[in-house]
Amino acid sequence: MSTQPTMPLPALPPMGRSVRAYFAPVDRVRRLPTLFDPSLNGRFATNTPPTPWVDLGWIEDFTRRSTSKYGELVTGSPATTQFQVRETVDATVSVRFKAWSKLSMALAAGSQHMNLIVSAAGGTANGSGSKGVAPVSLAAGSTTTFLAMAASNAAQFAAGSLLTVDVDYTGQTGFVGSGVCAAYVSSAAAVNNDPDYIRRVSFNVARIASSTPTGLQLAQPLIAGAPTATMRVQPISGFVDREGGSFFQEWSALFVIDGEQGERILFHYPRLQSMGGAAEAATVLLSPLERIALSATFRALPVTDANDGEQVLCFRTFLPSPATLI
Amino acid sequence: MQNAKDTFYIALRSRLASVNPARTMTLRAVARPGILVSEAEAPAAQPQLDAFALSWTGMQADLQLAAILAQMTCEIQYSTVGTQANAGLDRGRALEEMDYEVLHLLYPYSAQKMNYTVNPATAMETMVFWSEPEFGPVVTLRDRLSRTAKVTVFAFQEQGEQ
Repeated sequence: MSTQPTMPLPALPPMGRSVRAYFAPVDRVRRLPTLFDPSLNGRFATNTPPTPWVDLGWIEDFTRRSTSKYGELVTGSPATTQFQVRETVDATVSVRFKAWSKLSMALAAGSQHMNLIVSAAGGTANGSGSKGVAPVSLAAGSTTTFLAMAASNAAQFAAGSLLTVDVDYTGQTGFVGSGVCAAYVSSAAAVNNDPDYIRRVSFNVARIASSTPTGLQLAQPLIAGAPTATMRVQPISGFVDREGGSFFQEWSALFVIDGEQGERILFHYPRLQSMGGAAEAATVLLSPLERIALSATFRALPVTDANDGEQVLCFRTFLPSPATLI
Repeated sequence: MQNAKDTFYIALRSRLASVNPARTMTLRAVARPGILVSEAEAPAAQPQLDAFALSWTGMQADLQLAAILAQMTCEIQYSTVGTQANAGLDRGRALEEMDYEVLHLLYPYSAQKMNYTVNPATAMETMVFWSEPEFGPVVTLRDRLSRTAKVTVFAFQEQGEQ
């Protein structure tokens, strides 16, 4: 058996068009980020990222900054630098999300991200929404894309509308939210012991594709998977974020640049915490028509590389083109 | 993209029937609002007077969004020689009236995207939206005054849409 010899070109500069962003939840309780292993999934199809990565689409203005500081050990006369030391290790990332969604808004705003629960009649006005309509319970048989419930309950939800699905707040403290740690509750008093509080901040949201007598068919899967029997459902009309708040969103991130010759560059930040407030950037389509993007800035936090025990903030992977020498 | 083009035309035609019901034309023996799509009619040596003719020219696409954003240029051409009753001396006024109508036809700058290839027409998921008009200079050819207003029409390509 023989194979055709290949005649690769010298290494070429990568040329890519844009950056694709993927985010995945961090288990804040156990301090476990979602690790991306490029040796297992480095060549994944951009439209179908591996579970549990959420595709946030093409982004713009992707900027990585290393703000690590270096010191030198100087000895002798004349003084000569003999050694270098890393005094601090720090890095930031900034991006602009083209599309607005629950997740991209939450990442950009950085603190608790609120679902605007449809308000009950006679509520007291409040900036992030007033007391919501009563939640409805689930029946057995719910899945990630179907919420089983009584016909009378399902009839309260119209096709095309939005909902939040999560457990009642019953005095828990610490991180709350199913699937994603959506907020940190220091005490029941801090959230007025509101039974809807977890549903108000939950990432377990979806749009309804159709309403049937047996339940609600969802147009997208729930991020927390099949709901538990203790979860309840409330309609929402949109989302609210705030400048301020005591909580920091923390997510694992993956940024991908595909080169024109088949190469791929991946930037993996296992732990990114939001470090900017809510801000937008406008791009003129045709004046006065503008596209509004969400500006986001993050600080990278460390993880331990299992291969050598080093504390690192990010991993940069290069998968070369098959056409070039390395 | 064809659904967006159809939607834009029908939206303007419906608005014209409301803004100026008297602006009608007879084309292929049918009386109808005075607006047409050039590429959907027989070629003509001279423009239809006192009517709006839509011509689709430029085309761009933004492929880096979750759905393709098509950006199409539509040129709205219109001409007049004024009225016989005034011996054409009112042609400036007649053109100004058409300028004014263009502003009203285009506002609001969006419409629900429709699929007119089925009967009855069905509403699609997204909105077609467009820029404010960019009016070109008046072009004079003997007694005829003409102007072209350029509009950029934006539409997201929906799943399954050609």
